[in-house]
Amino acid sequence: MTRTDYIVVILALCALPWLYIKFWTMDETAVNVIISTHDNKKIILPLSENKTINVKGPLGENIIEIKDNKARFINSPCPNKICIHSGWLEDINDIAACLPNGVSVSIGGKHQEFDAINF
Amino acid sequence: MLRSRVIVVLFSLTLLLSACSRQPETHNQRLLVFGTIIDISIVGVDKKTADNAFKVIEEDFNYMHEAWHAWQPGALGRINNLLPTTARFSTAPSLIPVIEKATQLSQQSNGLFNPAIGNLIRAWGFHSDELPTQLPDKNTITELVKQQPKMSDLELNGIKLRSRNPAMRLDMGAFVKGYGIDMAIEHLQELGINNAIINAGGDLRAIGQKGDRPWRIGVRHPRNNSILASIEIQNNESIFTSGDYERFFDHNNKRYHHVIDPRTGYPADKTTSVTIIHSDGATADAAATALFIAGPEQWHKIAKQMNIKYVMLIDKQGHVYMNPAMQKRIQFVTDTKPEITITKPL
Repeated sequence: MTRTDYIVVILALCALPWLYIKFWTMDETAVNVIISTHDNKKIILPLSENKTINVKGPLGENIIEIKDNKARFINSPCPNKICIHSGWLEDINDIAACLPNGVSVSIGGKHQEFDAINF
Repeated sequence: MLRSRVIVVLFSLTLLLSACSRQPETHNQRLLVFGTIIDISIVGVDKKTADNAFKVIEEDFNYMHEAWHAWQPGALGRINNLLPTTARFSTAPSLIPVIEKATQLSQQSNGLFNPAIGNLIRAWGFHSDELPTQLPDKNTITELVKQQPKMSDLELNGIKLRSRNPAMRLDMGAFVKGYGIDMAIEHLQELGINNAIINAGGDLRAIGQKGDRPWRIGVRHPRNNSILASIEIQNNESIFTSGDYERFFDHNNKRYHHVIDPRTGYPADKTTSVTIIHSDGATADAAATALFIAGPEQWHKIAKQMNIKYVMLIDKQGHVYMNPAMQKRIQFVTDTKPEITITKPL
């Protein structure tokens, strides 16, 4: 083997851990907001983009705010306002829902370590 | 020679990477039915089959919600209107297996899981979607406890039902989620789906597995939003947790939660959460409530009676109690591991 061969082999070996981390490990960073509507439609939006969304349901309109990598309900036509009281959602699998209006908001990531969360 | 060895090593390492499998295609659907959020994941079928299954399951849960609600017009609502008369009446046949299963589980739990205390649940205000804000009247609670309604007060003969105790009202809240998930899983299997998970508001049952690996479940910490532990399940297992954080209100700086001890009429106060792994969801659901009420001293005995093989109980101080079989299946993922007591085998 020539000196260049050794360099190529060393570089290839060094690249292996990087390749492993890049392609085979879980990226647990929260990246998007998943909004489910009463007619089972899904709206997926980036968590990084500040935005306010109006979502219609049988009772009226829910307003959802995405700000500073967090999301929350800010207005709801439901009687108890449990969705608004849930506050900010920011971690993967955080979820809030307006059951009477059929609207839910959750936080998703590129990869999720768990298939379901028990609580 | 050296060159060929290096090539062999590099080739082997590349093979090792390719041996890791990618996730199989999973069809996910979120439904807001049954008074909760239901997440369904289906693996190993085409999109059309999965979409059809989602529709069927949604209809199932809508039907069950209407039929099994204790305080709304529906099959169980009608039963609750008729039970105080103590006269015999015809009941909806679809509710008979639900009542029979609930009765059996109630007896196995020494009455700690007691769906007959609907009046007590209503006195606390935990029967409706809206959370209570104040304590019930002390005398009302004392009176309701004294009446001691229990499942064995029911007389079921064919489709004819009566209660010997006029104070009985059936509230299946601690049980129907599990029973409903069982029915939905059964329906999925009838549709030819063998790998799926149904998660109803944090309580779930899984069949088959996810591709070539078991389903991975994260158990949430009872006191914050982080994941406390992970459990792998496959081939038809349920994980159910009862916790004091699910439905509660604060009054004079004290937390009053929805798991009412039928013996005292007040929320069970020695437990923070109980997690159960069991094959069927109905048993897991009822056992999670019964063992929560039983508390750190009595849960082992009740679990044995209910034939539960995997239990984790966290007491008010954050101390974890587990049987050895559960210890083998659970992995804590928090930075600081809680204090753990391993009990005798179940």
